[in-house]
Amino acid sequence: MATEEQQKSQASFGIKEIGHKPLLQSDALYQYILETSVYPREHECLRELREITQTHPWNIIATPADEGQLLSMLLKLMHAKNTLEIGVFTGYSLLSTALALPPDGKILALDINREYYELGLPIIEKAGVGNKIDFREGPALPFLDEMLKDEKNKGSFDFVFVDADKNNYMNYHQRVIELVKVGGLIGYDNTLWAGSVAAPPDAPFMDYIKPLRGFVIELNKYLAQDSRIEICQLPVGDGITLCRRII
Amino acid sequence: MTLTKEEEQQTQLIGHNDLAHKSLLQSDALYQYILDTSVHPREHEKLKELREMTEKHPWNLMATPPDEGQLLSMLLKLMNAKHTMEIGVYTGYSLLSTALALPHDGKILALDVNREYYELGLPIIQKAGVSHKIDFREGPALRLLDDLLKDENNKGIFDFIFVDADKDNYLNYHKRVIELVKIGGLIGYDNTLWNGSVVAPPDAPLMGYVKRYRGHVMELNKYLAQDSRIEICQLPVGDGITLCRRVI
Repeated sequence: MATEEQQKSQASFGIKEIGHKPLLQSDALYQYILETSVYPREHECLRELREITQTHPWNIIATPADEGQLLSMLLKLMHAKNTLEIGVFTGYSLLSTALALPPDGKILALDINREYYELGLPIIEKAGVGNKIDFREGPALPFLDEMLKDEKNKGSFDFVFVDADKNNYMNYHQRVIELVKVGGLIGYDNTLWAGSVAAPPDAPFMDYIKPLRGFVIELNKYLAQDSRIEICQLPVGDGITLCRRII
Repeated sequence: MTLTKEEEQQTQLIGHNDLAHKSLLQSDALYQYILDTSVHPREHEKLKELREMTEKHPWNLMATPPDEGQLLSMLLKLMNAKHTMEIGVYTGYSLLSTALALPHDGKILALDVNREYYELGLPIIQKAGVSHKIDFREGPALRLLDDLLKDENNKGIFDFIFVDADKDNYLNYHKRVIELVKIGGLIGYDNTLWNGSVVAPPDAPLMGYVKRYRGHVMELNKYLAQDSRIEICQLPVGDGITLCRRVI
């Protein structure tokens, strides 16, 4: 039976802290991308939000800055206006989105817990984009089902970002595929799950990795064969799979 | 089979070894997972044929890997791109990915110093039924770009420009393509993480071709980061691709 020390050093699959997601061949390469291409372009309010989030005990669940930059690029290329976000935490991806949308852009933001959103909200207000956000507290599934009762809500979103409980991603997919417009985009976050998806099932995983790994693998297989979408799985952040609805 | 000392040293040098393993990720296993799970099942059969043919070619390392082809396809469709340019063709993987993603009346101006490799891929592109979208020109790109720019009507006519050519000329290409792409349009620069060598210490053991162009790539990255005419996004896909959306 390994000592606690041995267990810790053997648990090589798992995220250590925000900004050190280990999907790339080295930390140094990831820092190079951040320092060369990301931070010089990061909005000052995003930086402020990132810095307060770093001190939070759950900081690893936040969207990293390079991923925020990617979301911004995609939203602008698509001329997105109406988006949905499931899973907010302190709001880094939410603020990235709000800054990328036009003045009349709208984001419906869902999270089971408004406490962390309220940590980030003052900074979002400072950025001048708080008016684009409609935040609702509570479990997302019942809310999505409510929305789908009204036919007018079908296909009403340009972009949907799902960054929440991995064991529910398949359930979210069955609903957001109807809420996003044809030609619109769904983004699923954490689909490479610290790289654990490529490891053997008995590899040494950190505690939080193991219980949800199977769900992530199952989602990836499902998305790959779902003919209603075209996909692209990027090694940004913890892995993000972009799904463009085609029918 | 044991490696000679020379072979051992060669495999320890920083640089990609072949097209099938061209990634910057934590492990080849993770890269193969992405390919097996999300890329190969979706790859058009003609793209697969082109890739398999190219893998046997001695310069196969230069080719666009299939995960990057998939990304280009996604971007082109999200942007509703119709008119594109590609600088650097080789056997045509990114060219065919682009041609498959554009609408029926889409057009691609494709430039390469050498038509020999393009002609290896052309029969497959024709079989895919999209060669009518391609206008291939052989010759050095800078001259052709300058000619294009002599006509004011050519400014801002491209939705997307993919630059995947000689790294020591990227800054020269940039000065021209920034005027040829439309406002709101996208430029993609390939190989901007240069085998990961951008973070290697100056005395690190680099493969010959890596060492030669590393400085140029790093200079480009610094330049793009401060160029206020564009918004950027540098992705660790393939050998690193930097997307630049023109804003003014």
